[in-house]
Formats: sequence, C-alpha cells, structure tokens
Amino acid sequence: MDGEGDATEAVSTDDGEGLDPREAARLLAETEREAQRQFDLNPLWITVVMSAIVLGAYGVLWFSTRGQHPYKGPSLGVVGLVYAAVAVTVAASVKVYRRATAGVSGPSVRQQQAEGVAILVSFVLGSPVLQGAMKHYRASDAIVYGVFPAAAPLIIVGTTVLGIAASKADWPQFGAALAVVITGVVAAFVGPSGAWLAAGIGLFIGMVGYAAADAFRHHRAPLGA
Amino acid sequence: MTADSLDPLIHAPARLRIVATLAALPDGASLSFTRLQDMLELTPGNLITHLRKLEDAGYLESETTGNGRASRTSIALTRHGRKALDDYTAALRDLITGL
Repeated sequence: MDGEGDATEAVSTDDGEGLDPREAARLLAETEREAQRQFDLNPLWITVVMSAIVLGAYGVLWFSTRGQHPYKGPSLGVVGLVYAAVAVTVAASVKVYRRATAGVSGPSVRQQQAEGVAILVSFVLGSPVLQGAMKHYRASDAIVYGVFPAAAPLIIVGTTVLGIAASKADWPQFGAALAVVITGVVAAFVGPSGAWLAAGIGLFIGMVGYAAADAFRHHRAPLGA
Repeated sequence: MTADSLDPLIHAPARLRIVATLAALPDGASLSFTRLQDMLELTPGNLITHLRKLEDAGYLESETTGNGRASRTSIALTRHGRKALDDYTAALRDLITGL
C-alpha cells in the first residue's frame, strides 16, 4: 500500500481494545451517514431548491400567458428568465456531482456520466427539434409555444429517466420519473397556458417526493443507533 | 455472545470508519487515498497502516498508477471485505440486542 505524500509521522496502532459495542454501533452509523452524505449526487437541499426554482419558472410562464386570446406564448424576457433559471440549476447540479464524485472511480462513475449524457441529449435535442419542425410546418402558436414545450420535455426526459431507473432497480427514481411522465401527459390536455401550470406543479411534487423518499432511504440507521 | 466475537480487524475505530466509508461507494467503485484521508481526517501514516492491515486480510484492494509525487492510489472494498462488514454489523446488532 503506497499512499500519496509523506508518511513519516507517528502512527497509532488503534486496535480497538476496550471499544464498547454501543460505541462501535454509533461510530458505524455515524460514518455511514457521513459517507452517504458526501457521496450523495442528489442532496435533499439542492433538490428542494431546484424544485422551488422549477415551480417559480413554470409559474412565471403560466402567469405571463394566462388570458391570452389568441395564445401567443411567453415573452422573450420571460423565456430568458427561465433559461437563466435552468442554467443556474444545471450549474449547481454539476458542482454537486463533481464534489460527490471527487476521487471516486470505477464503472459506476462511467455509468452515471453516460446517464447524464443520455438525459442531456433527450432534453436538448428531443423537444426543440420537434418544436422547430412544428413551427416549420406552421402548427399553431398554442402548440409550438404552449402545449408542446410545456408537456413534451417532461414526457421525453421522464421516459429516459424511467428507463435508467428501471435498469438500476432504483424505485424511488422510477416513481418520480413516472410522476413526471404522467404530469407531461396531463399538461398536454389542459390548454397552452394551463400546460405550464400543470407541468410546474407536477414537476414540483415529483421532485419533492423523490427527495423525501431518497432522504428516508439514506437516513435509516443500520443498527437503530 | 461477547465483544470478542467481533472481527478484530474491523472492530477498531479507524478501520471501522475506513470499511464503512468504502462500503458507501457504489459496487465496483474505488476511492482515492487523498479523498479517503480527507473524509476520515487521519494522517497519511495512520491511514496507510490501517489500510495495509485490511488489505493483508483481503478486505481491501488498492491500485497505484503513476510514479513519484504524481502517483495516485485508489482503494476499494472487496467482496470479502463487504461480507466481513455485513457479518460484523450483524454480530454487533446481536450483541447490542443481548445487552
């Protein structure tokens, strides 16, 4: 075993003589919790913050388009605000991911990176490409700037995550992705403005529900300590 | 059942924390020596000593890449090590229940 840097300081043998079983149980539970917290790719706080940002962004989209007759879609300023919110959440997620995976290597890390690429591709390409095609073929503004951009990303990205979660048997993530897909389906049928509201509320509930399930799973103490 | 029935290789504060930390990684993943040291706040010498004991028992495996100061060591829990921790946890639970 060769470590990094100098290793010339005094060494404690620390053979655990006299280590009380209750103390060992407490130490084990505490270490597991701390390690899970440090390796966690979806910390509770960031999911809650992101879900609040998502709810706010979709709320602004709904608010800016409600009562439009005929429907024209959100203004460029509102769209810019939403893109800024998306950029902030993506940047925060990348920072958390880098911190959690610092020094970690192996097939699981490569798998997580491939999953991230799959989700990003489905988000960036799936909806905008079809939206462009619809505009090209003169679909109504209600479809191009309302129903489709509100509902389609949820169905496309949600289905991608659904497949990933099923392949890993990650049932909390599977449930959250299913909730997102169902939200997208509902949003597709509540009108161009209502679609933004339905999408925002559904995404918020799905994200908070997943965060709660994930937190519950990680905070179960193995020894009841 | 007494405390003597607990695996002495794991039943030591530093080694218990090492094994529990590595067990929190996904299957097949390894952790750099530097990150492990940062997480456990142990000195390099202490950490090396405990890692060596666990590696000699087959609980851990390490891989060093590069040379000199640029070398990087990654450590992973083996299946044998994961089972040893599971057995230790079960024995500890039985022991506490019986106290």
